[in-house]
Amino acid sequence: MLPALVRKTWRDDRRALIGWAVGVALFTVIYTSFYSQFQGAAELKQEALPKGMLDFLGIADMLSPAGYLQATIFSLVGPLLVLMCAVTLTARTIARPEEDGAMELLLTNPLSRTAFAGQRLVATGSAVTAVAAIPWILLMVIVPGAGMDIPLSNVAAACAGLVALVWCFTGIAFLTGAATGKRGTVLAVTGVLAVATYMANAIGGMLDGWHWLRWLSPFHYFIGTDPLHTGWHPAELLTLVLVGTATTVAGAIMFERRDVGV
Amino acid sequence: MWGMTSDIAVHAEDLTKFYGQRRGIEGLTLDVRTGEVMGFLGPNGAGKTTTIRLLLDFLRPTRGRATVLGLDPRRDKAILHRQIGYLPGELAFPGREKAADLLRFFGDARGGVAWSQVTDLAERLDLDLSRPVRTMSKGNKQKVGLVQAFMHQPALLILDEPTSGLDPLMQQEFLAMVRDARDAGQTVFMSSHVLAEVQQVADRVAIVRDGRLAAVERVESLGRRAVRSIEIHFDDPVDPVEFSVLPGVSDVVVSGPVLKCTVDGRLDPLIKAAARHEVVDMLSTEPDLEETFLSFYYHSEGAGDASRAGA
Repeated sequence: MLPALVRKTWRDDRRALIGWAVGVALFTVIYTSFYSQFQGAAELKQEALPKGMLDFLGIADMLSPAGYLQATIFSLVGPLLVLMCAVTLTARTIARPEEDGAMELLLTNPLSRTAFAGQRLVATGSAVTAVAAIPWILLMVIVPGAGMDIPLSNVAAACAGLVALVWCFTGIAFLTGAATGKRGTVLAVTGVLAVATYMANAIGGMLDGWHWLRWLSPFHYFIGTDPLHTGWHPAELLTLVLVGTATTVAGAIMFERRDVGV
Repeated sequence: MWGMTSDIAVHAEDLTKFYGQRRGIEGLTLDVRTGEVMGFLGPNGAGKTTTIRLLLDFLRPTRGRATVLGLDPRRDKAILHRQIGYLPGELAFPGREKAADLLRFFGDARGGVAWSQVTDLAERLDLDLSRPVRTMSKGNKQKVGLVQAFMHQPALLILDEPTSGLDPLMQQEFLAMVRDARDAGQTVFMSSHVLAEVQQVADRVAIVRDGRLAAVERVESLGRRAVRSIEIHFDDPVDPVEFSVLPGVSDVVVSGPVLKCTVDGRLDPLIKAAARHEVVDMLSTEPDLEETFLSFYYHSEGAGDASRAGA
């Protein structure tokens, strides 16, 4: 039997989780299932937008199957959706109950602070991982079904990157919430970080002399390696996982040391 | 070591908490004996909740330390919290489920609680467990809070303002629950800003004010200090001197036909004096601690700031 707190966390997040899962699934299905119909429109978009803009949006080409998948699922909206899901749900592990006062009763759980933080994050982290893995599961069916000519292993690599990216930002969100206990701070810090690092990756790819900037961006490790064309890049994925792990550990330590609910 | 002796349930030694410059509690040294009911009295903002949160390890002391059931609140939190029943002063419940489901969670989290234990308590408090906690009135939420604090029959009950929101009938039922807990050998540490309710059930009271312990007294010795505020409305203006000379009457303020004063002890002299005039209305209230009780202790200890600081 799973710990009571893990089950309780899932139960409390149930509605939000179902919402995000449905949203991410619909997004994935709608964009990819109509691959053939979108081709004409994609061509128009490709011509309408200047090259610089396409680069900024992370869209290399929209005509090849890999380029299309990259443009629709992996460039902007896909990561945005799963990251928003991850950050808002992770803000609920500690920061939200601490702000609305429910933390006191949650903390009466006979658990050490670290175990408490761990169980909260295990519950939320597994749920968020499941949401982030929805495109993976769906694309394994849709890509061959829609006749997109991409090796499934490459699709899996990109999808794994999406999960790793979510872990990275879940860790950052958890650290912020565990350290401050403020939901607004969690949303602000992770939101600003996500936008800033997304732009760092885009600008680093466009401007000569600024390539180094990309190394600071989680988005580079997620998609900068072009997994849909080049397949698995374990070192880059591991980097994202390590950032997520390090921030999680730091969060647990900071939560253990501070006053709660002041 | 004192920490190991089983006849002391809570031991605080120079327990101090500052929030930046602001004082929560300072230099609190206090023992709660095993099996006793201790009232923790003081006006709002005196440091009661801060003390309780220190004992539960939600806050960490700036100085000093506490031992609860012989254990360290921080190091032994997991073991300790299984033996504590805690009712927060500001109740907020996690989630939106029915009271029954929420209480089942608390029971499971504490290693399993006989469900009859929960239903017995709910019946006693006349609480409907099939309703979502979020939709409940303040009084019913308070009942859910009480059920979760008592349900696992903890060795130590720490209750922060337990009667707030309860109607008088339920307050009596709650006091009966506290007596039963004591009879079962449980220790109760309950805060309040109302002297009367603590008086009915506590063995001893600790009184805090402005972040400091003012006194620890046996309840019997408090009984004598039955001070009350009286307000009498007459038909015509009265002379204050007529009343201020009466035994036990003090703080006489007359504005036109309205007399306000405090009476320590029997009311008879005041009533007899008032009866010489046409009385329209009379109000008698037990004054809150801030007004009389604590200031008495400050006077008696010779503290300079006995007057109502920042009230």
